Amino acid sequence: MASRSMFLRILWKLLGASRGRLAVALIALTSGAAICSALLNVNLDAERKLTQEFRTLGANVVIAPPAGGSEAALADASVLDRIAALHLLRIVATAPYLYVAANSGSQPVILAGTWFDQVAKMNSWWKLEGGWVSSRDDREHCLVGFTAARQFGLAPGSAVQLRSGDRTISLTVAGIVTTGGAEDNQILTNLDSAQALAGLSGRVSLVQLSVSGTPPEIAAVTRTLADNLPGLDVRPVRQIAAAEGTILGRIRGLIFWTIALILILSMLGVLASMAALAMERRRDVGLMKALGGTVPRIMRLFLAEAGTLGAVGGLLGFLLGVVLARWIGERVFGVVISARLEVLPITIALTVGVALAGAFPLRLLGRVRPAEILRGE
Amino acid sequence: MAPLVQVEQLEKRFGEVLALDHVSFDVDAGEWIAIMGPSGSGKTTLINILGGLDHPSAGRVVVDGLNIGSLGERELTRYRADKIGFVFQQFHLVPYLTALENVMLAQYFHSITDEKEASEALARVGLGDRLRHVPAELSGGEQQRVAIARALINQPKVILADEPTGNLDEANEAVVLKLLRDLHDAGHTILVVTHSQAIGNLADRRVELEHGRLARISVPSLAKE
Repeated sequence: MASRSMFLRILWKLLGASRGRLAVALIALTSGAAICSALLNVNLDAERKLTQEFRTLGANVVIAPPAGGSEAALADASVLDRIAALHLLRIVATAPYLYVAANSGSQPVILAGTWFDQVAKMNSWWKLEGGWVSSRDDREHCLVGFTAARQFGLAPGSAVQLRSGDRTISLTVAGIVTTGGAEDNQILTNLDSAQALAGLSGRVSLVQLSVSGTPPEIAAVTRTLADNLPGLDVRPVRQIAAAEGTILGRIRGLIFWTIALILILSMLGVLASMAALAMERRRDVGLMKALGGTVPRIMRLFLAEAGTLGAVGGLLGFLLGVVLARWIGERVFGVVISARLEVLPITIALTVGVALAGAFPLRLLGRVRPAEILRGE
Repeated sequence: MAPLVQVEQLEKRFGEVLALDHVSFDVDAGEWIAIMGPSGSGKTTLINILGGLDHPSAGRVVVDGLNIGSLGERELTRYRADKIGFVFQQFHLVPYLTALENVMLAQYFHSITDEKEASEALARVGLGDRLRHVPAELSGGEQQRVAIARALINQPKVILADEPTGNLDEANEAVVLKLLRDLHDAGHTILVVTHSQAIGNLADRRVELEHGRLARISVPSLAKE
């Protein structure tokens, strides 16, 4: 106990004795830790926020009957209840579609019946002229794709009558959408209306899902759905999943290599300070050895000094990094990055590691020969 | 009774230079030995080997039954902590530790620290009121007295002093010499390297070296009287 208190007493004096050199090392460590902490916070938080952002870029999982099946490959609408019953929290939006070949006057057009509230959630980037169909149960309005609107001369407020076989429905155009996809050629309406027009009550062509998370998390949801929906194909939309994965992977890679580089630079800063410190401490080490101090016991003091410096640098760097992460989040990603506590131990551990590696010149003091030092060589 | 220190045919080479050439002598427990000789005669080399700071090239050095030539680095470190108290010409105090902590440092490397015992050791050398001062706040004589307190704190078998008054003025030299005399009277074994005839005359015996060889062992006239 007395030895431990003496150890702490010497450690305290060591820290105070070389304030100038240690301050330089501390600045190097704190700067490195601040950037690491900021980037780790950005990595963890921006990844979460970016995956949420990605979910507004369209469906990334599609459930459909197997290709080449009977009944023009239609699925029972009860699949929607079965998906909901799985309570998968990563599913952000679920939009069923029933595609019906209809005619407007004498010209054919594809009518897509869907749930507008869900379509809005997963396609917020669609350009809209006019208004959206706000309710899933609205049977009177429709959205018309940009190309179809030009073809049929439709504008918001126009009336359109659609026919399929001997059934007809009359709709009012709420808005014109530009999607850059197949929807530009379609008319979108309420699912029940489309089912009624086609005489396919309780049937859907496919279900689009928007699933949040990293590529492995999305893959896990896809597997769960496939296991629980036998007889249906559950397919990730490869291009979107791959693009998201690539973006996240590149951000992660950039952050990893930046952190590695910053830590190396910090270590070089510490190394320079410690090399100068080691020269100053040669006489003290020679004396300690002459007094009967073993090399491990003396080195413990210096490594504890470097470790303390690393821990303090790590803590200060973490706090600075939180501020820096907020700034980066707002400026670069346009999101508010919140402090992640799990970054604190990682930052401290990395900084302590860097400080101990940078303290290498102090380890060389173990080779000091007391007789030479005390002779004044 | 076997002598406390036995030096037999001791030889030390630094490359081509023979610093000690077949030196032999014994020291009994409680003796005060002055090691004398001109600069470069091997005095400091001898005391470094006796203190376990350097290895002999040949010959035998036995201190308190331990053949220190046969000890490894770790055992030599333990030997220094257990059996030797050093007093250096340059004092060699740790500049950022107080007088008290400098004494406690020797305790720390020996076994466990005892602040009360360290304070008492400093009080015995007349520094009871300077415990919290760092070396820069102490005079040369005071620093040397801290070094003496540090040398004594672990009750060493032998006190090795290399020119202990070499950096002191006359007044402080007298104080340090009185301390050494008191230690001798208390039964401590002391080996002092010195150029000073006055200190040499205080010793029980003088071991005189010339060019690394033992020139003579004499009993100072003062001691005889």
